[in-house]
Amino acid sequence: MKKLFAMLSVLVLVSMMLASCGSPAPAATEAPAAATEAPAATEAPAATEAPTVAEEVTLTLGSWRVDDVAAWEVITAAFHEEYPNITVKFDPTNPPDYNATLRTQLETGTGPDLYFVRSFATGRELFDAGYVASLKDLPGISDAFTEASRAPWATETGEPYAVPIIAVSHGVYYNKDIFAANGIEIPTTWEELMVASQTLLDAGVIPFANGTKDAWDINEVVMMQYIPSNIGGYEGRMAYLNGERCFNSEEMVASFQQIADMKPFLPTGFEATSYYDAEQLFAQGQAAMMLDGSWSIGAFEKDATDFEWGVFYPPALEGKDQYVTFHIDAAIGANAASPNLEAAMTFLEWLESPTFAELLGNNLPGFFPLTKDAPTLSDPIAADFMAFNSAAAGVDIRFVWEKLLAAPSGNVDAYTSLNNNVIAVLKGEKTPQEAADAFNADLAAWYEPAAACK
Amino acid sequence: MSQTISSTKRSGGMLSNENRRKITWMLFLLPALVIYLTFMAGPLFDSLRLSLYQGEGYTPTKFVGFQNYIDLFTNPLWRGKFFGAVRHTFIFFGIHMVAQNSLGLLFANLLSSDFKGRNFFRTIIFTPATLSVLVTGFLWTLILNPNWGAVNKILVAMDLREWALPWLGRENLALPVISLTSVWQWVGMPTVMFLAGLMGISDELLEAARIDGASEWDIFWKIKFPLLKPIIGIVAILTFVDNFNAFDVIYAMAGARGEPSYSTDLLATLFYRTGIAGEHPVGIPNMGMGAAIATVTFLILMAGVLLWLYLSRQQAAEEA
Amino acid sequence: MRRIKLNQALAYILLTIWSVIVLFPLWTLIINSFKPQKEIFKDPFGFPKDFTFDGYIAAWKTGRFDVYFTNSLIVTVLSLTLILLVGSMAAYALAKWKSPAANFLYVFFIAGLMIPIRLGTIDLVRLIKALNLQDTIWSLIPVYVAMGMPIATFVLTAFIKELPSEMFDAAKVDGASEWQIYSRIVLPLMRPALATVAIFNMIKIWNDFWFPLVFIRSEESRTVALGVSLLFGQYRTDWTRALAVLSLAAVPLLILYVLLAREFIKGLTAGAVKG
Repeated sequence: MKKLFAMLSVLVLVSMMLASCGSPAPAATEAPAAATEAPAATEAPAATEAPTVAEEVTLTLGSWRVDDVAAWEVITAAFHEEYPNITVKFDPTNPPDYNATLRTQLETGTGPDLYFVRSFATGRELFDAGYVASLKDLPGISDAFTEASRAPWATETGEPYAVPIIAVSHGVYYNKDIFAANGIEIPTTWEELMVASQTLLDAGVIPFANGTKDAWDINEVVMMQYIPSNIGGYEGRMAYLNGERCFNSEEMVASFQQIADMKPFLPTGFEATSYYDAEQLFAQGQAAMMLDGSWSIGAFEKDATDFEWGVFYPPALEGKDQYVTFHIDAAIGANAASPNLEAAMTFLEWLESPTFAELLGNNLPGFFPLTKDAPTLSDPIAADFMAFNSAAAGVDIRFVWEKLLAAPSGNVDAYTSLNNNVIAVLKGEKTPQEAADAFNADLAAWYEPAAACK
Repeated sequence: MSQTISSTKRSGGMLSNENRRKITWMLFLLPALVIYLTFMAGPLFDSLRLSLYQGEGYTPTKFVGFQNYIDLFTNPLWRGKFFGAVRHTFIFFGIHMVAQNSLGLLFANLLSSDFKGRNFFRTIIFTPATLSVLVTGFLWTLILNPNWGAVNKILVAMDLREWALPWLGRENLALPVISLTSVWQWVGMPTVMFLAGLMGISDELLEAARIDGASEWDIFWKIKFPLLKPIIGIVAILTFVDNFNAFDVIYAMAGARGEPSYSTDLLATLFYRTGIAGEHPVGIPNMGMGAAIATVTFLILMAGVLLWLYLSRQQAAEEA
Repeated sequence: MRRIKLNQALAYILLTIWSVIVLFPLWTLIINSFKPQKEIFKDPFGFPKDFTFDGYIAAWKTGRFDVYFTNSLIVTVLSLTLILLVGSMAAYALAKWKSPAANFLYVFFIAGLMIPIRLGTIDLVRLIKALNLQDTIWSLIPVYVAMGMPIATFVLTAFIKELPSEMFDAAKVDGASEWQIYSRIVLPLMRPALATVAIFNMIKIWNDFWFPLVFIRSEESRTVALGVSLLFGQYRTDWTRALAVLSLAAVPLLILYVLLAREFIKGLTAGAVKG
């Protein structure tokens, strides 16, 4: 016993020792003063060049777009040309770990000066926690973007905290050669699309490449493409958010029914077909169509070179108007603790310019700039995607993003519920009606406007 | 170091023998203890405390007592996820315990005698362990792919079309299949450890048994196996601890949600999704609940290890 | 004699079957690293028709993998050395010091294995920042050494306990100090166990990318695992490049393994202590 006591006192001693050397850390990160010491590393290059230019700064730009390093180098170089004193370094993190890494850095005062902010709940939480700077004084932000574009990164009172930069669209990529060989025209109604799919299946072609192994794609690029036309776009979505419609309304059942209709036309083993596998099935010419996002233009331009291909929007059910999912996806905000906040603001203001919009739209085909005066896009497929918007009865973001993403602990959020139920329909575990009922029950449990739907 | 030792020796006159020994032992332990406390145990145990808090981010500040634990065991959603993860973790661990360690024992036994090509086979068995899990995940996903994977192509060629299943897409198949790919990767580890044990057994003993006419089967079970018991114990406990915290292979092959439909969700993926990454796509972590999951996992493991320690001491006492 | 031959044949058959199961995926890995992206999925298991070194070249052009490899090697080797030195000293005390304190510490060391290390991330980042090590490879070493302690103490303590106690008694009678017993008797005998611990830890350290991810920003301090993570895109991965780098990333580990295994066998044959 005595020995144990002696041992423990050593432990206490050691931990006190540690505490004494560790304690400055949390204190330092909480105090705003810490900001000045945090990005010492980023200031270092400026310091060495100090004799020539006094106020040269390097800003780091955090992002989840590992894929776009080359394009962002072009964009930031153009900025540097306009503002020779400021260098912006695009410094992405692998996408699945982006949120976690960014948060760790922000909480410990080691975050980048500028960073990509996710829309709605995720970004809002960072703003409420004080990590992303308010942009209420950023000149021109209201003129450059519509209210709808700003809304995903603004408070209820309209205070913006990030500059919207990217929207993505969705559509059906189709193999023109296969369509021609089977005498198929671009379908104008859902019913025609199903007839065409049967023709393709009979001809021994996989009609749709999509699968469910990765889960997110069947939800984001399939189900959420069907919903707007069924519910009537933005106004229809508002009816759900206000509690005027329940989440198992006939429009929602119809969307689940479309998923069920697709089932026979998916690849064998679709349960184990990942998003990437699906793209390969399409790019290799094994599948005639794939529902996918506009971000895949570049990938297909590289891989699907053996045949002609194009895009069309999944047609609405007979008698329904066509609405398009045009999703406002990413914005850039400034780290509130950055010592170079002024330079960061200069960059953010530059993001409002036509120069940036033009550079983004043409260096990253399939990612659409959000400025009011949209630039002409040189990529023909990207232009086709934009044409969906003008041809449609309306344009809206993905169904669940606004207000329905973050459920209180112990409840299922709309994204997860929709995802689970779509897969359950495809696996034959639920009928479309049962799936819609389950979706409604999950939401009615916590989303107050839907409480009456229980 | 030698200076410190000699200085304790010099001051030996002042201290009792007992105390001097104690200080010596502490000096042996000190470097490990300082590093371990500062860079691992300290941060970890400090973070377990977060299980008593709620709030967003990694340092939640609202003290809620045991509310996270109550939610974990009583809220149907949390309870379902948690006990699902516990069940999958036991299955995952069980498959490793049986398949990986039996194969390891078999390989070690085959490799313990001297023959041509032994080093080659030993290296081959170990090679998968040097690969990043990203590679293992990629390769096996490719091989098991329903559209162009080798496994299904072979099955179809053998006219076993009904066996050409979507291996990673079925809820009842994905977990065993992923566990076996993990066994494929890590079987070199128990092999190395068993081999160490087997090579320590003196050749004379085995030769004597052979001359007495004992079969290899008898030699293995009656001589080698009992002598290997301590190593089997160590391997078992390492398998237990390693696989109860397994994360990488599931993350690489089935994602953070343990697809399909959470059927491969382990305690470590549940912890990661809850406390570190947050649910896709919103990604706001709930560290309080994450820490609660980690604490409960810790208690399960601790119970297992203490039981093992108790049993192995009992056995040692019996043998003595 | 005939029976032994039969056993030998059986051993060859079993080992050959397993080798095929191991080598087929490895073959797939190597050949695909020489194929353009398109061909990987069109013909995953065939020999490359359109043989290309692009993956290997691109890896060096877009990332500085020479720097990353150097960093990873420095971090891995230094961490392993420290783990073995510090861990074996602790294990010796834990095995030979008969006291409740030692029992408690033994369990305390193992306990670290049972909590997911990511849980402590925030505290660790603050600590590394306070020590002014952030954004350097030196930030990784203390964390990896600490992470290696549970396995090192667990395996090494068990090993030392298995050593015959007469050996220690004889040395004590000769007047050897604990330090002398440790450095001259225990350490050389421990070779196989040290090799086992080294093998276990080198794989974890080499492949870890979580701590580089949160500690390191600048290119000069990246490790291979961190560099590799940046080849995996949001929607797509350039597999030609990823497989090229990942194949190369396994080579140093394989070499380390072969070296350690040799050391390990040497130790076993030199000190046949059990019987």
